[in-house]
This record gives sequence, C-alpha cells and structure tokens, in this order.
Amino acid sequence: MNFIHRLPQIILLFALCFILFASPAFAHKVNIFAYLEGDTLYTESYFSDGRKVEGGTIEVYDSQGNKLLEGKTNKEGQFNFKPPKKSALKIVLIASMGHKNSCTISADELLDAGDRVQGTGHREASEIGLEPIKQIIETSLDERLVPIMRGLKKIEEKGSFRDLLGGIGYIFGIFGVVLYFMTKRKD
Amino acid sequence: MHISDGVLSAPVVIGGYVATTALAGASLYKLKPEHIPRVAIITSAFFVASLIHIPLRPTSVHLILNGLVGMLLGPVAFISILVGIIFQALLFQHGGITTIGTNALMMGLPAILSWWFFSLIRQMNVSVAGFVGGASGILFGVFILAILLVTTGSEFIGVVRIAILAHLPVMVIEGLICGSVSTFLMKVRPEIIGCKIC
Repeated sequence: MNFIHRLPQIILLFALCFILFASPAFAHKVNIFAYLEGDTLYTESYFSDGRKVEGGTIEVYDSQGNKLLEGKTNKEGQFNFKPPKKSALKIVLIASMGHKNSCTISADELLDAGDRVQGTGHREASEIGLEPIKQIIETSLDERLVPIMRGLKKIEEKGSFRDLLGGIGYIFGIFGVVLYFMTKRKD
Repeated sequence: MHISDGVLSAPVVIGGYVATTALAGASLYKLKPEHIPRVAIITSAFFVASLIHIPLRPTSVHLILNGLVGMLLGPVAFISILVGIIFQALLFQHGGITTIGTNALMMGLPAILSWWFFSLIRQMNVSVAGFVGGASGILFGVFILAILLVTTGSEFIGVVRIAILAHLPVMVIEGLICGSVSTFLMKVRPEIIGCKIC
C-alpha cells in the first residue's frame, strides 16, 4: 500500500526531469523569416530548435491568392527570389511530415527606393541626385535592420517557461474540475 | 509528429474531429474518479515530453511518449492525449488548432494499441513488453501520419520511409524509457501497468 502513495511522486519526478531537459528547446514547429534587401526577397526557414529546414518547399502567393512561384530551400534553409509583383506577398513554407507555416510581406515593404523618391518630388534639391544616396542609405539600413528583425522574430516565437508551467497547471486544474463533478454526481 | 494548420483538407479535418469526439466520449465513459490524479499527472508528463528534441537530420523529432500513456492508462489514454495535444497547440503552437482532432487520433489510437500489445506479451517478459509497447506507439503513429498525408497527395511509401527513418531514434529511446518504467513499476507496483484501470 505504501507504494500507492509514492507512485504519483515518482511520476511527478519524471515530469520534472522532462521540464529540466525541455527548457532550452521550445516548441516543435517550423518558422519562416523573410526580409527584403535591395530588390531581392530573402527567406530563412528553420525548426524551432534552430535547425535549418533543408529542401522545404516555398510557395509564394499574391494578395489574390494566385501562386507566383515555387522553390526549394537550400542547405542553409534559405530561398531567395526577386518579387515578380509589387503586391502584398504570402510566403508559405511546407516542410516534411505535415509541418507548415507562412509569413506575409506587405506591399509597402516592396516599394523600392526609386518609387519613394519620385513620390516626394524634391529631386531638384540635390546636385548629385537623391536616388543614389537614398539607395546607399536603404542598403546600409537593410544590413543593420536584418539582425534586429531576426531577433524580434525569435522573441516573438519563443515559448516561455511560464507557458510550460501554466500548461501543467491547466491540466491539473481541468482534471480537478472533472473530479469535482464526478464525485458530486455520486453524492 | 504534429500536423500544422492548413496541411490537411477540410473533410479530413472534420473527420478527425468527429472520430476524436467519439473516442473521447468512450474514453470519458471509462474514466472513474479514482483514476483522475494518475491521469492528470501522466497527461502533464505527455504534454511536456514533446518539448524534448532529439537533434537528428533531416527533420526535427521529439519524444512523444504516447506508448507510455497507453501502457499506464489503457483506454483512458485517449482523453489524456487529447488534453495534452490541446494544450500543446494552444501554448506552444505545436500542431494546429484545426488539426487537434487528427493529431489526437494520430497519437491516441497508437496509445491504445500499445496498451493492447503490452498486455499481450507482458506475461513473457515485462521489460521486452515495455519496449515493444513504447516503440509501437511511435510506429503506429507514423503509419497514421502517412495515411493522413496521403490525403494531401503525398505518396504513402515515401512518407512512411522518411517518417520511420526520422522517428527510428525516438522509437528506440521511447522503447527504452517504457521498458525501464514498466520493469520498475512491475517491481514496486505491478497492478498499475498493463492496466487495471478499466
């Protein structure tokens, strides 16, 4: 009879071991990160434990849902293409065994530097021409912003330890409620 | 082994939900108040287990432990796995919301099968029975995954080959876990495994 009382503790110990093992690698899913540099769209696909998706299929759709192009990710999980259309794009990643995710690039992001300069109407203000300067700024900005965007995306995706403990709490709570109603019915 | 949103077609998704609801109802019917603490603890272990990754190429795999749930809970395992999967989807975006039904089938049915396998051979050798129970949970899950993915146009044999290869290490590890857990429980409390819950 003694073991009957001890068993839940033993299993709980197992569960705690799992938590300790689990904390560095959260949530198993695929992620896709896309950014524009110059006129090329770069995408990076990776599993949530950080490994790259090799040979995953990338499909690109416009805002009406028409498929524009399709490709495979390389060894580094990257797939790059020049957007054929300046509309909002939906980039869908299909990895093996039922894993799928997508991200969208808005039309604003696709407007290249040249378009924006023409829109401002201050072309005469510069002797050397605004366009080259604008392009240089854009390029260097892109270079600096990409790591920041990548970091933001990581933060967005990362599950927290709180979610894990919260989930266990929810499960205990739900079964507690079930137990309450089951025993109440008996009375 | 979790299927994401948008992979499966609507009829498969709805079919998954219908079958899961039926099985969950049957499972709830078997559930008795005195089982609940055990079910709750095993459910949370299952919920957490899928966060343990096994870093092997070409895709990323993780522990599932549906065989262990089946061996410890018997027919009640289905409700345990369903609850675990709902929270994995909600809190970790681990598998989609629309695919909760199909994912529960994919892991819950094999759990019940491994319970059946385990009870069949436990008389001979409990450690071996535990290994077989743990490994078969994954193996059946892979077959169900392949059947589900065939509805999306994938080729059955191709998916099975890739998925079995990817899950081979998981099968071995879970077999070892289940083998040692069942050997241990057989010594300390034999009535809990192979399942007297029903």
